[in-house]
Amino acid sequence: MIRLENVTKIYNSEVTALRDATFDVAKGEFVFLVGPSGSGKSTLLRMMNRQESPEKGAVWVAGRNINEMPDSKVPHLRRNIGNIFQDYKLLLNKTVHENVAFALEVIGRPKHVIRQQVPAVLDLVGLTGKEDRFPHQLSGGEQQRVSIARAFVNRPLILLADEPTGNLDPATGEGIMRLLDRINKTGTTVVMATHDQRIVNMMRKRVIQMDRGIIVRDQARGVYE
Amino acid sequence: MLSRLAYTFRETGASLRRNITLTVAAILTSAVSLFLVGGTFLVQRGFDNLLSKWAGGVQMIVYVSPTATPDQVTNIKSALESSPTVVDVGKLEYLNFEQSLAEAKRLLAADPTTFRLLNEANLPTEFKVVPKAGQLNVLVQLANGFAEVPKVQKVVLARDQVEQISKLRDFVQTVTVGLSVLLLVGALILIWTTIRTAMFARRREIEVMKLVGATNWFIRIPFMLEGLIQGLIGALMSCGFLLFFNRLWTNGVVKLKGDNGFIALVVSNSFLNLVMLLVVLFGMAAGAIASGVAASRFLDV
Repeated sequence: MIRLENVTKIYNSEVTALRDATFDVAKGEFVFLVGPSGSGKSTLLRMMNRQESPEKGAVWVAGRNINEMPDSKVPHLRRNIGNIFQDYKLLLNKTVHENVAFALEVIGRPKHVIRQQVPAVLDLVGLTGKEDRFPHQLSGGEQQRVSIARAFVNRPLILLADEPTGNLDPATGEGIMRLLDRINKTGTTVVMATHDQRIVNMMRKRVIQMDRGIIVRDQARGVYE
Repeated sequence: MLSRLAYTFRETGASLRRNITLTVAAILTSAVSLFLVGGTFLVQRGFDNLLSKWAGGVQMIVYVSPTATPDQVTNIKSALESSPTVVDVGKLEYLNFEQSLAEAKRLLAADPTTFRLLNEANLPTEFKVVPKAGQLNVLVQLANGFAEVPKVQKVVLARDQVEQISKLRDFVQTVTVGLSVLLLVGALILIWTTIRTAMFARRREIEVMKLVGATNWFIRIPFMLEGLIQGLIGALMSCGFLLFFNRLWTNGVVKLKGDNGFIALVVSNSFLNLVMLLVVLFGMAAGAIASGVAASRFLDV
């Protein structure tokens, strides 16, 4: 599903964010990227939906080299990739329903599809009954569920999560992880960057550990260490 | 498709309201600059009209009384041709009644009442005289002589009015073109800034749109529409100014009755309409393109 080949990323021609990263992620896999701040986790995620391009190496997603893809095709690539962030990135002037519907609206999905899919995904993330609330009327965990609903409403092949539990208390974070696990079980590939040891140790999934831009460990059913 | 249109108009309207001060500034600047652009065309056209009867190096016009018989006209022609060293015989041109009437129609565009009074009994026909190179001074000396030929109503020399008018035209042209270019640049910068501010206000939304796979055109079009509307409103205001000032000018010129020829310093309504159409199209295109470029410039989230 995702393949990185000798990927190197250098910022401003001096800071090396990634050096010679190579790994495969199979369809339906759940992968943690772990490591301290600045170790290159976010850069790796941003490579996978072409928010960044490598100086050297290649990134393949769903069988295509996305660095050689023309700019005009990038929106279509991103429709197959959901994104979740530590700060949720919700639109504060829109309700829960509107935030999720927005993701379908801007890619031109017809009204009847939106009417059908938004309630279904809100039910999946456990927000039924809160459709008309605004983000500031929700708890952090609920806001993250809205952002997951928005990322998943278009049924993407891949879900990229950048520290999704970073702003949440442990119990709420666990709830979010259970939700991501359920989404993963539907066949969606999940790649999640985190430095939350407890969660990594609890889930026992594949762990790729980064240190100063280099992959130092790639272990199936791993722990944080 | 319908929901996309609704989305586009909703976003454009919201953005215009949110940015009201900058929007008004951009609209006013484009209105004034487009008014000057249109005004430049009108002023040039007026001057060209005024000078048109002197086009092609004509330096002297001999007006022939409408009561002259064909023989008498031939007589005048022979008199003019009798000085081939001074008069360029090859370029000597005679406007018969129909041709003189056509010229009068153009010159009297501002004064249809006067034009309607013209007929074969009162409109003089005319000879347009081009001097041989370097012979202008001699031609001027001969002018009085031609006035003595029977049935010559009047002899008019270009020297008396054309040179000053040409100088005036060049001066006015420089000033209006310079000012309108300056103001156009100002208007474009303001539209650019409006769009940049609007995009900054919505950067979070744009970031989300890009991440869920909206195309750049989808993001850009509401902003382009916003610029287009600013340009359109500015252009419509400038058309109002143009109509108003043109009427004021035409009325003023018509009052300058007399034989000075300044009555020709106006434009026809069809030309005014053409200029207004061009100003509107230009305003819309400039607004849309400036904001499209601004939007692309700030799309790299």
